[in-house]
Amino acid sequence: MLVTRTPYRSKTDRNLSWLFVLPVILILLVAAFIPLGWGAWLSLFRYKLNLPAARAFIGLKNYLDIFTDELTMLSLRNNVIFASLSVSVELVVGVTVAMMLSDDSKLFRGLISVLMIPMIIAPVVSGTLWRMMADRTYGVVNYLLSFLGIAPVSWIGDPKLALYTVTFVDTWQYIPFVAVLVLSSIKALPTSFLDAARVDGASPWKVFWRIILPIISPVIIIVAMIRFIDAFKVFDTIFVMTQGGPGNATEMLPTYIYRQGIKFLNIGYSSATAIVFVISMSLIAWAFSRLRDRQLRRLG
Amino acid sequence: MRTRGMRLGNFLSLPVRIVVLVVLFAAILFPFYWLISNAFKMEQEYYHSPPIMFPSKLTLQNFQDIVLKYGLPRGLLNSVLIATGTTACTVFFGSLASYSLVNGMLPRRLKKLFAGWFLIQKMYPAIVVAVPVFYIIRTLRLMDNVLALVLMNTSFNLPLVILLMVGFFQEAPYEVEEQSMLDGCNLLQRYVYVTAPMVRAGLIATGMLTFVASWNELLYAVILTIVRAKPLTVTIAGFITDKALVWGPMAAMGCVVILPVLLIMWLMQRDFISGVSAGALKA
Repeated sequence: MLVTRTPYRSKTDRNLSWLFVLPVILILLVAAFIPLGWGAWLSLFRYKLNLPAARAFIGLKNYLDIFTDELTMLSLRNNVIFASLSVSVELVVGVTVAMMLSDDSKLFRGLISVLMIPMIIAPVVSGTLWRMMADRTYGVVNYLLSFLGIAPVSWIGDPKLALYTVTFVDTWQYIPFVAVLVLSSIKALPTSFLDAARVDGASPWKVFWRIILPIISPVIIIVAMIRFIDAFKVFDTIFVMTQGGPGNATEMLPTYIYRQGIKFLNIGYSSATAIVFVISMSLIAWAFSRLRDRQLRRLG
Repeated sequence: MRTRGMRLGNFLSLPVRIVVLVVLFAAILFPFYWLISNAFKMEQEYYHSPPIMFPSKLTLQNFQDIVLKYGLPRGLLNSVLIATGTTACTVFFGSLASYSLVNGMLPRRLKKLFAGWFLIQKMYPAIVVAVPVFYIIRTLRLMDNVLALVLMNTSFNLPLVILLMVGFFQEAPYEVEEQSMLDGCNLLQRYVYVTAPMVRAGLIATGMLTFVASWNELLYAVILTIVRAKPLTVTIAGFITDKALVWGPMAAMGCVVILPVLLIMWLMQRDFISGVSAGALKA
């Protein structure tokens, strides 16, 4: 991605080059590198902010505790369900919609603008909005479903349903993201070989399934990776819709780390969980990019 | 585009396509109808079971309430300060750095570091560094200060802006750059007079992405503000977490929060799509 150019060797330019990147390095140092390193360091301590005297170095004990902490495991389980379910639905619907809107027409261009609205509004707004609509008594969702003869459902209050409700909201918000990205890669396809396929008499479904889908699969894999990681990082939606409840039914890793660190001031432990989170995400990203490389090689 | 080509949409039969599109767009648009209509409903109508689809009378009461009772002016001011401050810092520092990475004299390793950092930053959620950041901000005496949020948002948005701007600078014609170098312009003069104007479109696109991201940010706004520096995202979250659900004002507040973002998107949709896809797919 970075092409080196060989400019004139002047001293002023060399100094200016450094001066230009200096602010960025300073900002990242203060707001990203130092906090990350500090977090890793804190994760080795038993450290509760409300009991500062009890601070003690305990090595990797916090990390071992993660695996015996039922709440962490529950948050992990919820998070995996949330991420896999929302991403799969987003991919299926997103790709379908992208295909349907890929033909050039004024109507479709207008629809694409509308399609983009959910993905750019603040998640905190979509969360509050759906929290309002999904209310058991005053919510419009139950009202609309009553016309189909469905009795009022407690979308947020029922521990069995709440997880799927927040998953739905995430899906609602990010189907457009998938659709827009896939759409731009479909539009970038050369028309020539699609014409060839048509001349050969392939049905539109076959063209989609046998030609388009394999060719755009590397893009789909990357979009899936981005969405999967972002879904694991979910915070705003949960924060306003359920606060992790009812009980712990919608607790996710980020909200749990928030609760441990900011609410319970259990700094050592929450830092350890955070570090494990970063490592797991990197592994997932690595796996996805391996998958994409394999797919790219297969396509030649 | 595909003048003689096949229509790709035909991969599903027409009735299926119509049903899918109608359901999807109804699902997208109806919530916004609900948000806007509730913002203008009277109290007895937004608290009504069964809900009222079409308000019998529209009122501005909810908007008056958010201004007078729920701290809209302060929140709006903070949101505007945070988002514009972040956008200005990110675009200015980010473009300077990317320019220097492309045309300056920096060691290769540094360039790799920036590219690598972009990837790493995508992996971790903001919450991971929340506790150390909380300490750092307290040490800097920036608690409950919009500057703290400008700093944090800038650091979150810099990697994407640098990645995109590096691309724009590489596409800018190098001959002009070379010519002005021979004319004796130094790096700063070349940036200001020659190259920055050529990538203006890129500066605007990345600026927009940054504005939207920092306008919408919630987590650090929750952690680093108490009263004075609260932006609108915290105010609207507060309707659910602190107060009883006052839906009318909450919906009115929601409208205020999404309006600027919609305006930006409406003005610059094309750049927005290409910015989002470039940011996602370049990595």
